[in-house]
Amino acid sequence: MSATAVAEFEGVSKVYRVGLLRRSPVQAVADVTFRVEAGEVFGLLGPNRAGKTTLVKLLLALCRPTAGRVTRLGRPADDAATLARVGYVHENPAFPRYWDAAGLLEYYGAMTLLDEPTVRRRAGELLQRVGLSDRCREPINGFSKGMVQRLALAQALLNDPDLLVLDEPAEGLDLLGRRLVHEVIGERRKQGRTVILVSHALSDVAALCDRVAVLVGGRLNFLGPLASLTAGARPLEQAVQELYAGAVA
Amino acid sequence: MNLSAAIYAIRWLVRDTFRQARASGITWVMLAVSGVCILFCLSVSVHGQLSLEHGDGPAEFLPANDPQADPEKAARAGVDVAGAEMTMAFGAVRLPLARDGRDGVRFIQLVLAAGVADALGVLLALIWTAGFLPTFLEPGAASVLLAKPAPRWSLLAGKYLGVLAFVGCQALVFVGGTWAALGLRTGVWDMAYLLCVPLLLLHFAVFFSFSALLAVCTRSTVVCVIGSLLFWLVCWGMNYGRHLVAAVPDVQQVPGSLTWLVEGGYWVLPKPADLGLILFDALDAGHHFGKGVALQNVQARGDFHPELSILSSLVFTVAMLYVAGRQFVTTDY
Repeated sequence: MSATAVAEFEGVSKVYRVGLLRRSPVQAVADVTFRVEAGEVFGLLGPNRAGKTTLVKLLLALCRPTAGRVTRLGRPADDAATLARVGYVHENPAFPRYWDAAGLLEYYGAMTLLDEPTVRRRAGELLQRVGLSDRCREPINGFSKGMVQRLALAQALLNDPDLLVLDEPAEGLDLLGRRLVHEVIGERRKQGRTVILVSHALSDVAALCDRVAVLVGGRLNFLGPLASLTAGARPLEQAVQELYAGAVA
Repeated sequence: MNLSAAIYAIRWLVRDTFRQARASGITWVMLAVSGVCILFCLSVSVHGQLSLEHGDGPAEFLPANDPQADPEKAARAGVDVAGAEMTMAFGAVRLPLARDGRDGVRFIQLVLAAGVADALGVLLALIWTAGFLPTFLEPGAASVLLAKPAPRWSLLAGKYLGVLAFVGCQALVFVGGTWAALGLRTGVWDMAYLLCVPLLLLHFAVFFSFSALLAVCTRSTVVCVIGSLLFWLVCWGMNYGRHLVAAVPDVQQVPGSLTWLVEGGYWVLPKPADLGLILFDALDAGHHFGKGVALQNVQARGDFHPELSILSSLVFTVAMLYVAGRQFVTTDY
């Protein structure tokens, strides 16, 4: 592994046990190997149940691999210390609804083990950045899905992370919100930070990502720049659909 | 990850729990119950200072306000005439007092501690707080927290301690408030009553540790509510059953296997009946209520050990929290 790899999956498989007695195996990811370099904006594509979110969870140590090895920022994924340099937007954030926006950021800042003055300063800046500074003392209970998504982005940026993992960050966002996500990713790229973007929005991935991994049925079906798929004047959407259908790129 | 960082995270989780309790209305409901009880205590007063001390024998007395009785004739016949009176609801209810003022106040404290707080209060607190951990462990909420560098064990510990701190504060308001209200109105400042706070908290902590294990395993509020209540009933049954078996005069009547079973279950499981008994003794409640033949016999035989009861209940709590912590650390989210 080179020193620049921010995330690395080596022969990673994940089998979930489901059912009442957890006896039925479900293969979520099978023998996946790839790496994400520092400074990259990396896209994870795939149809539903392809294993994209499972890969993200493996990277963040939310679950453990059944086989293989996952490293994050040069350390094994189960080393929690490197999580201090990671920001994460969940695909369906369910924040405690009893906090207000500013309080929630302070709470998550504390969980990131940032000191209180830093958290307060960053929270103010980020609420301004995501357009929630005028609603920062209102309970989240009254927030729309788009506002919650903006807040999710703010909490992920609290620690100014080296690795930002965004799982469907534009879900529920309006046009301005989507532009905000694009701007944030663009800023991270300029700063040489790494972003892993999971999205079904092909246009977003095409516009933002340097390379993509396409997963189908838990297996890696394509790895490389998205532009290479469109060689021969083949429309991108058609190329991706063929990948989703299981064709070899 | 150093200890100070874990403490920092735990401090915020305690704060989070208080906020959750306030938002769910539980804070206000519990404070309202305490408020009603404190108001009741403020409405109590004792008039007259008659002390009816008759050694070990029962007091023979005649209420002074009995219209059928002739107090002067009774006094000449050697019967005490109890002129003391306790009033409640700001004088709306008047009760002739067959005891001295201190004993009357202690009776009220006993009803509040054993009836309202220990029996009803602990069970209601278990029900009301049962949803705290499952909500906290919802995948959408927990995943974001688990992707932070705070160790998993500290998240569970913080939430558990948060609920404990919340219930402790409520117990303090209830016991402290009623104690102060009764003291102000009657001049009786019985410090033994304050022992209720740690005992109530211990009682709650023991059963909430089981609720925490259920929450980690199932993430279901319904399972936590029903499971912890059923578990409390099983423990109470095992606890009382053991004392019944131990109190049987002729041990030969009880099959040996049953004795081993109840004795083993008694020492492994928490002991809600014993905690009640400790409270009963602390408040010197034997003056007012019968203890039950079985419990009397067990105590008389020296088969009741309050220190060991508390210690084994604490060991159970630690074991439950350890298993819950192990489960939480290894669970996929």
